[in-house]
Amino acid sequence: MKQGAIAILPLAFGAAVYGFAFGLLAAQAGFPWWGVAMMSGAVHAGSSQIVAVEQFSGGSALLGAALAGAALNLRYIGIVASLAPVLQSLPLRLRLLAIHVTGDENWALTMAERAKDPAVGASFLFGSGLVMIGVWTMSTALGAVLGASLPDLERFGLGFAFTAAFIAMARGLWRGRANLLPWALSFAVTGILVMEDMPKAYAIVCGTLCGLLLAQLIRLGAGAER
Amino acid sequence: MTESHWSLIALLAAAAFAIRLTGLIAGNAIRTSRLAPLLDDLPGLIVVSLVAASLAGQPAVTWLAGAAALGIAWKTNNVVATMLIGVAVFAGLSVTGI
Repeated sequence: MKQGAIAILPLAFGAAVYGFAFGLLAAQAGFPWWGVAMMSGAVHAGSSQIVAVEQFSGGSALLGAALAGAALNLRYIGIVASLAPVLQSLPLRLRLLAIHVTGDENWALTMAERAKDPAVGASFLFGSGLVMIGVWTMSTALGAVLGASLPDLERFGLGFAFTAAFIAMARGLWRGRANLLPWALSFAVTGILVMEDMPKAYAIVCGTLCGLLLAQLIRLGAGAER
Repeated sequence: MTESHWSLIALLAAAAFAIRLTGLIAGNAIRTSRLAPLLDDLPGLIVVSLVAASLAGQPAVTWLAGAAALGIAWKTNNVVATMLIGVAVFAGLSVTGI
């Protein structure tokens, strides 16, 4: 658990900055700092929270705002599904806790480290996930308290830090040439859809599904040749 | 906090957890089916899609820094080293105005 908690720290620092920004947004929408903390702890989904609160403050109906936010999280069906082998030996209550503390960063880091060392598993996911949800909850609450006094770290390339981290995690997950075509298709489809103004969260789901389909077709083709 | 604020938190928390729970149920069903190899494919495809979403529509500097990060990742296979050097390259390219 400690290993995961330490390994995730650089990413947790980055997430904290986005947490501050979300806290400010939520405070402007009328949430007190403890309400922001409660939401972050209970929801634990950055982009969903941002969109839901934006819609809410923009006057959208309550259910619509919640659904718009939640829909952005559909990739978590795939993310959590991929954890099945990691979580299979845990009792149900721990599995339910594990899926709640799972976020993009700690999930991807766990999978990338597991690809290098199969001993990495649920304990790493918990360690990294508890740090991420803790940092997310605290930073969003602090953002609601401190608000606009924060510097704009985006100017210093903070957004790119996440891109670089995910590139490194993709490298860790690379298993050889069989990945090339499905990965290239996912990359291209997602990129094109974002360029066509589709919200990123949906483009990611579409790109992933196209890659999955191609990977399965290649596998079926290889099986038929044998 | 008004009733609406409370309701938004409750609805969003329920919806976010329902999505995660769907993944848990789907993952268990897939793990024991013929489609089990798809679970191995999923992480890489989602991560590559996340990278594509953050690069799409960005200026050349971001793509160049992305290429540099890929090179570093390939050599080191290390997340922290890739982040640090990647951001340094990004900042360097931005400052020099290339």
